[in-house]
Amino acid sequence: MIGPGRLEWLKHDLTNRGLTAWILSAVLFGFYMVLYFTDWLNPVAAALGLGHKWTLYGLLYTLAITLGGVYVIRKYRHNRYQVIRTVVVIVVQVMLAFSVPLLLKFFHQPEYYFSYLWPLKFEYLTPPVVFHMPLPFILYSFFGALVMAPLLAVFFGKRWYCSWVCGCGGLANTAGDPFRHLSSKSMASWRFEKIAIHTVLVVAVVLTALLFVSWGAGKQNPELARWSYQFQSAYGLIVGAVLSGIVGVGVYPIGGTRVWCRYFCPMAAMLGLVQKVGRYRITVKRNMCISCGLCSKYCEMGIDVRSYAQTNTSFTRASCVGCGICAEVCPRGVLRLENVTRRDPQELVQIEVAA
Amino acid sequence: MRYAIIGNGVAGVTAAFTLREREPKAEITLISGESDYFFSRTALMYALMDRMTLRDLEPYERNVYEKQKIRRVRDWVTDLDGAARRLRLRSKGEVAYDRLLIATGSRPNLFPWKGLDRIQSGLVHFVTLEDLQAVEKAIRPGGRAVVIGGGLIGVELVECLVHHGMQVTFLVLEDWYWPIAFGREEGEMVADHIRGHGVDLRVQEEAVEFHSNADGGVSHVETKAGSSYPCELLGIAVGVHPAVEWLRGVATPPRVEKGVVVSPDFRTSLEDVWAAGDCAEIRRDGEKPLIEQIWYSAKLQGEMAAKSMLGDRIDYRPPLFYNSSRFFEVDYTTVGAVNQAPEGAQSFYRRIPGKCASLRIVHHEGAVIGFNMLGSRWDHAWFEKWIAERRGLDYVLAHLHVAQFDAEFSRLKLEGVTA
Repeated sequence: MIGPGRLEWLKHDLTNRGLTAWILSAVLFGFYMVLYFTDWLNPVAAALGLGHKWTLYGLLYTLAITLGGVYVIRKYRHNRYQVIRTVVVIVVQVMLAFSVPLLLKFFHQPEYYFSYLWPLKFEYLTPPVVFHMPLPFILYSFFGALVMAPLLAVFFGKRWYCSWVCGCGGLANTAGDPFRHLSSKSMASWRFEKIAIHTVLVVAVVLTALLFVSWGAGKQNPELARWSYQFQSAYGLIVGAVLSGIVGVGVYPIGGTRVWCRYFCPMAAMLGLVQKVGRYRITVKRNMCISCGLCSKYCEMGIDVRSYAQTNTSFTRASCVGCGICAEVCPRGVLRLENVTRRDPQELVQIEVAA
Repeated sequence: MRYAIIGNGVAGVTAAFTLREREPKAEITLISGESDYFFSRTALMYALMDRMTLRDLEPYERNVYEKQKIRRVRDWVTDLDGAARRLRLRSKGEVAYDRLLIATGSRPNLFPWKGLDRIQSGLVHFVTLEDLQAVEKAIRPGGRAVVIGGGLIGVELVECLVHHGMQVTFLVLEDWYWPIAFGREEGEMVADHIRGHGVDLRVQEEAVEFHSNADGGVSHVETKAGSSYPCELLGIAVGVHPAVEWLRGVATPPRVEKGVVVSPDFRTSLEDVWAAGDCAEIRRDGEKPLIEQIWYSAKLQGEMAAKSMLGDRIDYRPPLFYNSSRFFEVDYTTVGAVNQAPEGAQSFYRRIPGKCASLRIVHHEGAVIGFNMLGSRWDHAWFEKWIAERRGLDYVLAHLHVAQFDAEFSRLKLEGVTA
């Protein structure tokens, strides 16, 4: 039942695919089309003293995360996991994804974003880009993407990145929070997710390999160099602009907040595979679920958490970004995010009860 | 084999799935007058607060019933003919069965208050889908509401009414809130917490008379202490009773006392008819009749009754009691015997300073027997284990942290919690 007053009606309409939600979605689509395919925002940025449209966009993005973050911290203030996580998300955005790149530019260094890694930030492991950077940046690019990210995912799950660091997840979990329940929970969308996200990962890996080959052998093979350049441009347009920006944020009010992260992000795909064999899991208390479905409803990744909870099944899903909201909304305290260690007491009780 | 199940609540649906698992070819018919699909009754409040749609309350995708070949019939059963093994339905047709499960759940209690018969509108319960619609119709933001009954359904209704901007008076008959489950300390702590959400919670207030205006709408409630509480919505949440009224007039009624009487294998007095869940009254020679009316018991009984229908030898003994709830964001877990503890049992109680949180551990003859935990989360499996192992209070207090289930970084601090 919708709450009292016009404001409550608007809140309901905006967050339940009403007319206003469609309008907002159209506005977001329009904004991203203008941003990516025109230079109309350059004069606006210049007038504001921000130089370039991308700086303006960075500022808007940072503002959205900060203001949305304050809203989320208030909303979940009794849950320290949510409070700490959101503070980290805001700090990372303000520092690593906004201020530091600007400072680097000011000191005539490459504009480097320490919070983004390959394969999400695709160029950071492509030869022409990465080898033009100072040595520390080159080392960080390789070490971050190939060692740090998977290793941390082994111990903590992909959440350390997707829900604590990444700006895409950051926006979803702050300004996007009122739309999180709109994700599709159907089996069909799960099937599509598995195909789509792993396809993007394979393409990203193949393209990276290709770029290394063409970097080494491009001079002898101009055809190869030209072809791999076209491949890279197409990837940048389809994955970088259309899927992560226009679709990813544009459909917030209609399809929920993590459409990009769930169906298309190659980083999420890679860390998800690591997560499946790592220590992270959601532990389900035995026989305590009342099948209310709040966990499934508020899962932004469209995981039918209830189907696990009501059958007493602790689980690790590759797509789970560990935002912790399923555990937060559960009225019976059935769910808990855990990094299982070998001598975990929770393990012990499961075994003994089963025996 | 033709199985029929009356009632698509958690007991009936669990039974249907259990039957299907073991008998791939049997005919299974699931009859409900209330809803087309099984839904989580315990989540009705979230539909009322617009956090869920009714569709969201359904625990299974709708095509599951088709896949599992469970025939759904939306109708009320009006007659049960045990000799002909046939059910008659209100709107049309009959359902023939070889084995029948009655899982009709419970209905809200209503006592013969003075003036009750004159009330035409504004009086609501909060148990069924129909109740939900009635509450939605009766809610008026800014209006006054009175809720009677200091249990779980009562506080859920109160939370919803507050959410919709009503001024709520919550009348509790007893000396403190929810004395079946809480000691005085917890009852008063939770009551204060509920008051903190703007609810006028009153204890030791017994409603004696309802008043209505000229067109039959409820106008105010009078209590034994002489107070009068104006209201346009009156919520009655004074417990539930087995839904067995419909059985009194059928061709071959099974034995009914408070509920449908069943033996510990869930068989009723009628041949090939079983009953389970809230509506069943389990009788065992020399013991008090048992009626369990919570989600967990219904789910377990549904499964056990189905196994009994399949021919397994079932001798149902209720597991160690446990339950959980949430009062305006305050988590609650209980296991074992707390207020039903035997004579001479002792109680270790600690209030956690600065928040609505407390621990109560009941022990008797050197072993812990019950837990009442408020304001933090606990894995009840550990409590069950400690009770089964007859651990002493000191052992339990020393190991309490392993049972904590709070979110990361939110772990309740247990320093100083010692005997």
